[in-house]
Amino acid sequence: MDPFSAEGELLNIHNAFHQGQYLTVIDFDISSLSTENKIPARVLQLRAQIAVGQAKEVLANIGKEGNAPDFAAVKVFAQYVSGSTSNAISEIATLVEAESENTTVQLLGGTVLQAAEKTEEALSLLGKHQGSLEAYEIRSFLHTTRPDADKALLHRIALIVQIHLQQNRTDLALKEVQAARKWAQDSLLVNIAESWVGLRMGGERYQQAFYVFEELAQAPSTSATKSLVGQAVAELHLGRFPEAEAALQQAIQKDPSDIEAIANSVVLKVISGKDTSEHTSNLEAIAPEHPLLVDLQEKSSFFDQAAGKYSAKVAS
Amino acid sequence: MPKVIVLRKANITKFESKSSRAKGIAFHPKRPWILVSLHSSTIQLWDYRMGTLIDRFEEHDGPVRGIDFHKTQPLFVSGGDDYKIKVWSYQSRRCLFTLNGHLDYVRTVFFHHELPWILSSSDDQTIRIWNWQNRSLICTMTGHNHYTMCAQFHPKDDLIVSASLDQSVRVWDISGLRKKHSAPTSMTFEDQMARANSNQADMFGNTDAVVKFVLEGHDRGVNWVAFHPTLPLIVSSGDDRLVKLWRMSETKAWEVDTCRGHFQNSSACLFHPHQDLILSVGEDKTIRVWDLNKRTSVQTFKRENDRFWVIAAHPEINLFAAGHDNGVMVFKLERERPASANYQNQLFYITKDKFIRSYDFSKNVESPAILSLRKFGSPWTPPRTLSYNPAERAVLVTSPVDGGSYQLIHLPRDASGAIEPTDFKKGQGNSAIFVARNRFAVFSHSSQQVDIKDLTNSTTKTIKPPSGTADIFFGGTGCILLVTATSVVLYDIQQKKQLAELAVAGVKYVVWSSDGLYAALLSKHNVTIVTKSLEQVSTLHETIRIKSAAWDDAGVLLYSTLNHIKYTLLNGDNGIVRTLDQTVYLVRVKARSVYCLDRASKPRVLDVDPTEYRFKLALVKRNYEEMLQIIKTSSLVGQSIISYLQKKGYPEIALQFVQDPQTRFELAIECGNLDVAVEMAKQLDRPKLWTRLGTEALAHGNHTIVEMTYQKLRQFDKLSFLYLTTGDGEKLARMAKIAEHRGDFQSRFQNALYMGDVEGRVQMLQELDLYPLAYATAKAAGLEDECRTMLEASGLTEDQISLPTMGKPLNPPKPIVDTHKANWPVKAASHSFFEKALLGEVGAVDDDIPQTSNGFDHLEGVQDDEAVTRDGQLGEEEDEEAAGWDMGDDINVEVESDFVNVDSADAGAGSSEADLWARNSPIAADHAAAGSFETAMQLLNRQVGAVNFAPLKPRFLEIFQASKTYLPATPGLPPLVNYVRRNVEEIDSRKLLPIIPRDLESIATADLQEGYSAMRSNKLDDGLKTFKRILHSLLVNAVSSQQDVGEAKKIITTAAEYATAMALELERRALPTEGEDNVKRSLELSAYFTIPKLEVAHRQLALMAAMKLAFTNKNYSSALSFANRMLANGGSAKLLDQAKKIKSQCERSPQDKIDIEFDQFAEFDVCAASHTPIYGGSPSVACPFDGAKYHSGFKGQVCKVCEVCEIGAPASGIRLFAA
Repeated sequence: MDPFSAEGELLNIHNAFHQGQYLTVIDFDISSLSTENKIPARVLQLRAQIAVGQAKEVLANIGKEGNAPDFAAVKVFAQYVSGSTSNAISEIATLVEAESENTTVQLLGGTVLQAAEKTEEALSLLGKHQGSLEAYEIRSFLHTTRPDADKALLHRIALIVQIHLQQNRTDLALKEVQAARKWAQDSLLVNIAESWVGLRMGGERYQQAFYVFEELAQAPSTSATKSLVGQAVAELHLGRFPEAEAALQQAIQKDPSDIEAIANSVVLKVISGKDTSEHTSNLEAIAPEHPLLVDLQEKSSFFDQAAGKYSAKVAS
Repeated sequence: MPKVIVLRKANITKFESKSSRAKGIAFHPKRPWILVSLHSSTIQLWDYRMGTLIDRFEEHDGPVRGIDFHKTQPLFVSGGDDYKIKVWSYQSRRCLFTLNGHLDYVRTVFFHHELPWILSSSDDQTIRIWNWQNRSLICTMTGHNHYTMCAQFHPKDDLIVSASLDQSVRVWDISGLRKKHSAPTSMTFEDQMARANSNQADMFGNTDAVVKFVLEGHDRGVNWVAFHPTLPLIVSSGDDRLVKLWRMSETKAWEVDTCRGHFQNSSACLFHPHQDLILSVGEDKTIRVWDLNKRTSVQTFKRENDRFWVIAAHPEINLFAAGHDNGVMVFKLERERPASANYQNQLFYITKDKFIRSYDFSKNVESPAILSLRKFGSPWTPPRTLSYNPAERAVLVTSPVDGGSYQLIHLPRDASGAIEPTDFKKGQGNSAIFVARNRFAVFSHSSQQVDIKDLTNSTTKTIKPPSGTADIFFGGTGCILLVTATSVVLYDIQQKKQLAELAVAGVKYVVWSSDGLYAALLSKHNVTIVTKSLEQVSTLHETIRIKSAAWDDAGVLLYSTLNHIKYTLLNGDNGIVRTLDQTVYLVRVKARSVYCLDRASKPRVLDVDPTEYRFKLALVKRNYEEMLQIIKTSSLVGQSIISYLQKKGYPEIALQFVQDPQTRFELAIECGNLDVAVEMAKQLDRPKLWTRLGTEALAHGNHTIVEMTYQKLRQFDKLSFLYLTTGDGEKLARMAKIAEHRGDFQSRFQNALYMGDVEGRVQMLQELDLYPLAYATAKAAGLEDECRTMLEASGLTEDQISLPTMGKPLNPPKPIVDTHKANWPVKAASHSFFEKALLGEVGAVDDDIPQTSNGFDHLEGVQDDEAVTRDGQLGEEEDEEAAGWDMGDDINVEVESDFVNVDSADAGAGSSEADLWARNSPIAADHAAAGSFETAMQLLNRQVGAVNFAPLKPRFLEIFQASKTYLPATPGLPPLVNYVRRNVEEIDSRKLLPIIPRDLESIATADLQEGYSAMRSNKLDDGLKTFKRILHSLLVNAVSSQQDVGEAKKIITTAAEYATAMALELERRALPTEGEDNVKRSLELSAYFTIPKLEVAHRQLALMAAMKLAFTNKNYSSALSFANRMLANGGSAKLLDQAKKIKSQCERSPQDKIDIEFDQFAEFDVCAASHTPIYGGSPSVACPFDGAKYHSGFKGQVCKVCEVCEIGAPASGIRLFAA
């Protein structure tokens, strides 16, 4: 039934994207794809480029891609990533107004909005209500009229799950994943999203999440730093610190500038009581805006402020 | 002759029934029931506590004289003048069977205490034993030669005692009978023969029951006889008006004494079950109480018209019942309410043996007897009240004996045992209470006068109270409460005038709240709460007798009835706290404990769950934050609290307690909380609920929810209309497509109409072959092309069709405002403080939390935890409260809280796991991990007096950092933050706890060893740092068991000792070597260096250094002492050799050249700040965390060792583990 897996054209590029094998995506040969799939594939490639830090290049060349709204969305996204945030937000607003039904616009628009902490807008753009009201008629309608709807929906759901998790609404995220599971059981994306939720919930789900990431990370065909980091994070939560360290080292070897690998290395070093300065300064150099550093900065001043309220009765 | 005192009925009678003559009585051993058999052939079953008749049994013919409850089974037995013995079940409420055999009236029937036997006595002169299980007669005892009036089993032995009108009392031995009827074990043939034949012998009443003693002494017939429950004593009542006491041994029995007093036939008697008393009743209409030991009358109760026929005692509690001509009275012999008074943490009370004792509420210990009151009043009457004067440490006790008397006694300083008071004042009066430090008031019932007296017992003032005053109570400073039968008067003693009067009937006790602002007036069935100026606050009625009351510190009154502890708030809201298995008298309520005295005058502590009333109190006081706390921490659910909240108009709060989705839905609808309603409706997914939700949402104008409900209900038409009204053309178009897909032409037509889609309409009509309509439509819209094709298709021309005149084509109006894009602003009323807080929208920490000691310092344990979490949210409460409540009526909420409202259906941020940590744990480290530094600091401040947090900063940040991981997810978005737990298996959100780096094990194995090696290798600078780091790591840490807590504390102490030692030595090394003072100080410090409790090997190093220094400076005496200590410690041979050498050198002239402040023989600690000795006995203060000692002058400074805590600060002790 799944029009997407039946044709199978986009399967590999999609999976590669979600596994974090961005270079594979970029090198993917899309010339042989059918016309209707060309745009989505190209969009994935551009996103992969952005993900590996080539936002500027994408911006420079986006004009050549044609004038599908998809590319406009990619452009805005690239703008956002490369730092012109306010610009991107205002542009996304206009874009959303014009093309709210376009999958790429929804997806990237949602991402940008969420990144700009406009959670409500992001969720409503991602068709929150639509997504959760799977009244049969409307679903089947979507099936028949838009063959890529399921893929797009999945993609949206993954993003929704992440937003819920960032909002600390694990309950909603779980619901979303479970609903998706019912009709897209084998989807890689659903598995990954479920692992995200699992890492929040803990208990036995840590182990389940670990299996998902490990499977991805350890098979040579799918291995990527992203899944290695995922694996390491799961092991961290499971309390298996030496294994976590091994996975992180592997990840850093693969990509010495992987931000999350470095950030989690800092955490691991702290937990095991070791010196963190190397990784911290590394992180400061690569991603000064990383939540780890931002939080630390904030908490540091918060500490001083709070500590300032106390003093000994008698100064010595 | 003893005086006849008519006891005041109110005091003694608990219950009275009206009926015909009562001939037999039996108490139920457990329930408050009494069986009464009447002369009129009826048997009544009463509940004497409630005073209600439960049942009647009427099968006997003629008077029923004997009656008894079975001890364990739901049975009773009766015997009547119809010669019948009947066994009844009170459960099935019918007679089970009848035992026939007696040939005349049956006088008494009794069950055996363990065997399935019934003993009966009859006017046919026999005593019979029946087996009620196989319903057979097993023994007939003959011997009496007149009516046998009474026969009873011995409570333990195989004996029976009987009384007869033949003037004798007989004791029978029935051990033979028991043997015969006990279960056959191994029986010889002879036994079996004997058993087979024994039936015959039975007929003659010989072998099974033999007369053991015949007691003669009564001059007339004997009516009643009874065994003593424990002693070998018998008491009997006779028509000779005497009550006789008999004693028996193994071999003989004899008359002991006679109680004379009845002036008519004495009909029954018994021994008091617990006290040395005999009770008897007679036809002279009296109940008499006798002293068992002196055989003198103690008390007499006279009834005006009714002769007494029978008396019975409750087997366990202090209750008796007597049957007379007109019914039954149940009574008790003495007041059981122990006199008591409490002051602050102490309770003074009078025990049953008439000693004053005290009880410490904080330590839960009873003192030994302080004072004996044995000589006060009469021996059988306990004192009635006790009033305590803390200033003088004096008590006033009153006794009702002899028309009322009081004594003023000074308590001895210490409880040294029950001494008789030597110095006391006494006088006449019914009530006596302290009214001021040096004044007390005495009320005399007979003279209707209140005397105010000073402590020398001389009257300083006299007050004439309103007539009919029955009692007086303390009325607040300088005032007394005068209680009459119908009112209470507040009287000012100074001004001698009445301040207020309140009509309350029958007040018996007054209980003041601890702050003295409120008083509870207790009547038999009412509790009235008044202010200190006697304005009524609330009143409540209880059907069950109210016994006592005590105030909670929060201003809740707890009161006890016969079988419950209940509470009432000031506003009169009340409820049950717990049930009681026995009556108690409350004296104090403290947190979860209710202190009370039981009827034996023993202090008891009952655990109660204060959640319910605390919650209601918080609700009344609008203390939402506490309510929230309660909601979060306790499992306060249940129908009662829900309906209470609903009734009180707080459905939105009730919502928080309900789990049942149906109820939640109802409540959510009621309080307009659509979010929850939606959630519940989704769970339940029933069309009916969706419909209701839709209606409600429509009323709210929340069209997105309306849309959803319509979708759920598949109400496509309504959905289309909704899209039309909200101007959502896109969705309308989609609806049209769906309609097409569904093949619903009606719907398609409608949607096409809504959209103004003429082509669609024409198309559809054509599909339906409704060409005329299609044509008309097309024509009306001016679609000439369409018309033409249609004409062509049908082969008609335009002229052949006659059309009515057409108006202009109708077009649906265009939406001006895109309503569908966002919800209409909705009223925010439903977003209460609670929901916000529960959703975690209230920030975890705020700035203006009151810091340092805030009154919680003395609290420990559980309370501490509460306080912590509470404080954690204290600051923002004010703000949030305002935000949460003041904006209730605000219509335009979008500006302020669009975050909450715009997408209210599902979203809204939850609280992160880190927030949970702070809630879940009373441990500072967990708060630090949660990023809640503020509360972590508060905790540390309270636990160990931490004030200087700067050195802890790296530790705090380290903990904060360690507990979060970063999971890359969707590219372009920040990574997902997850929270590392130390309890990996746990998934219950209330128990999740963060990982804390540097656990105890790593500190013990790595850091501590590092410190030790620094000591060994003489790197004291590094060592000092290491040990301080250990201290800081442990100060903010969490361990996994109580055992580890001990371990951790040990390491803290060790680290503190090493840090002190190293600091000492470092100071010494920093000293210049020149100058006499410096040398002296250097010697001293090296000596002190040997004092801290280091590992032996390390101590040897310190001793070695000190010894060498002392030796080189010719302080031989000191050097000798160090050498001796080294030798005593043992260890490496090289060191010991040196020590021996020095020792032998020093012993030649053991003198010190330089006098230093070091007493080698004294025990002392070294002050960690000044590095000087603190000898035992001299004042010192310590660091509340690491225990380092300081001279008291350093109190209030920051500890030099840990550099964090304030020396001598009040502290509850560090918490590293939460069970």
